[in-house]
Amino acid sequence: MKPHPMIARNARQFGTFAVFVVLCVVITILTPHFFTVSNLLNVAQQTVINAIIAVGLTFVIISGGIDLSVGSILAFSGVVMAHTLRLDWPLPMAMLAGISVGAGCGLVNGLLISYGRLPPFIATLGMMSVARGGALLATDGRPVSGFAESFRWFATGQVAGIPVPVVVMILVYVAAHFVLKKTKFGRYTYAIGGNEEASLLSGVPVRLYKIGIYAVGGGLAALSSVLLTARLNSAQPIAGLSYELDAIAATVIGGTSLMGGQGSVIGTLIGALIMGVLRNGLNLLGVSSFIQQVVIGVVIIAAVLLDTFFKQSKR
Amino acid sequence: MKKIPPLLLISALMLSGCGRKTESTSGAPARPVVALVVKTLNHPFFIDMQRGAEEAAKAAGVDLVVQAAEREIDVERQMQIIENLIQRKVNVLVVAPSGSREIVPVVVKANRAGIPVIVVDTRVNAPALKAAGGHTATFIGSDNYEGGKLAGEFMVQKMGGKARIAVLEGIPGHETGDARLNGFRDALKSAPGMVIVASQPANWERDQGYNVFQNIMQAHPDVNAMFAASDLMALGAIEAIAAGGKAGKITVVGFDALDEARAAVQQGTMAGTVAQDPAQMGRVGVEWAARILKGETAPADIAVPIQFVK
Repeated sequence: MKPHPMIARNARQFGTFAVFVVLCVVITILTPHFFTVSNLLNVAQQTVINAIIAVGLTFVIISGGIDLSVGSILAFSGVVMAHTLRLDWPLPMAMLAGISVGAGCGLVNGLLISYGRLPPFIATLGMMSVARGGALLATDGRPVSGFAESFRWFATGQVAGIPVPVVVMILVYVAAHFVLKKTKFGRYTYAIGGNEEASLLSGVPVRLYKIGIYAVGGGLAALSSVLLTARLNSAQPIAGLSYELDAIAATVIGGTSLMGGQGSVIGTLIGALIMGVLRNGLNLLGVSSFIQQVVIGVVIIAAVLLDTFFKQSKR
Repeated sequence: MKKIPPLLLISALMLSGCGRKTESTSGAPARPVVALVVKTLNHPFFIDMQRGAEEAAKAAGVDLVVQAAEREIDVERQMQIIENLIQRKVNVLVVAPSGSREIVPVVVKANRAGIPVIVVDTRVNAPALKAAGGHTATFIGSDNYEGGKLAGEFMVQKMGGKARIAVLEGIPGHETGDARLNGFRDALKSAPGMVIVASQPANWERDQGYNVFQNIMQAHPDVNAMFAASDLMALGAIEAIAAGGKAGKITVVGFDALDEARAAVQQGTMAGTVAQDPAQMGRVGVEWAARILKGETAPADIAVPIQFVK
């Protein structure tokens, strides 16, 4: 029997989704505490930070790049926003300041990569250190806390019964999906990742778009820092250590190819949810944290193996 | 599509493997579950705490779950673990907070779920907790300020009131490290000849202790005493001292009395270290968890004694 064309076209995503569903079913069988409204909201909230950073990574990775600096950018923009909040800036201004810093760092990444001709790995590795240092310098290494109660709305508020962070995540994903599938920015992102040379020859302003892609990555890391800071009620200069790796893992589990040119934000969302559900489920089951790390590693490898197998069988 | 089943199989197998362990314990009539959440399980201090907690859990007839983030500083991950344990409806939470303020929101969540929270080792920031309307059952830990003071007093005596001192700090902004340093500095106030010439964070880590102290020795070759806010940093620094050919010329005082540090004190590469008793913290934490479940009320503060090893 031939699969429905829509399924065939999105087979990789359905595969990831099937893994996600099986994971949920297995955990539900093993523990009664998993499939409850309060726990599912709990998992969703725990997934938000990684999921939003991973959207930026998805754009970057589809374009054939990589961004190691997002965890540090998160910390840097978070403490900048926290400082401005403590200086009694109005909330929108403070958020704008934080997100500008994040997008600015991303912009510098983009400039270094497109005009400096640095490999993305090196440019963002440098930025990882610079932004972390900036965050530590800005705070003297100490966490910044003590915000107006209204700011915590970003962590504890609800819109129509859905926690605010989850609403923000959904909005980000809807917007990112639209941009990636329906706009020139999205099409060029795929084109640059698919074949940069050909894109350049056919008139795509590759440099400009690359700068934009990394700025989006930085900006989204900064957006997630707003939510993280509200969640912890504190902005930490050491926040987000190795979050870039979690985000890369979510993106890759979601079927975005590290080779560039392929991927989707829907896949990334499922990837982030798989990681969130896995961690949550292993906690609920009382599995030792050392085994948890092994399991998560195995899932990442298995997901990429699946991807490779699938591509081979298609050939 | 046909390649998907292997992955499903793998994940199903892995999870069923994980589940079996809990099944065997939940087969018996439900025993109360106490969760111990420490900062990390790759530091000897917290491994000792886990050991003490396990002993107490066995004696008290409760089930113990021990969880921790991969890294000591990962406050968000610790928060997630506690949220998940609240969902699992454990009966009591025993927590060593990775961040004094950052832990507050999740303490409030546990309060709402009616789960008592016992705090060990690092205090929750009291004003922040009060502002959020949260409460904890008790604090079990050592007085880090007193420990720092003990270390300082020992150093004053050992150096005869005159020394050029370097200090290795923990992660800035950590209540534990700050209290130790404040205690140490206050003990030096009585001796004007004791001068701190350098004070730098080495973030609780051994390799950073090595590097930072190596740099300090370059900048201040006249340093003849060193206080590290934790033994791991002190042990790193001792290696740097040996590598720099200054063994025996610099008096090293650490904090935590790890087995390795006790051995170093015996060998004479370290002058002394402040002994906390993490196993006792874990033990008392779980004992009180069991007593709270029986309806007892814990005192607000339970001190675990400190001593100086020299």
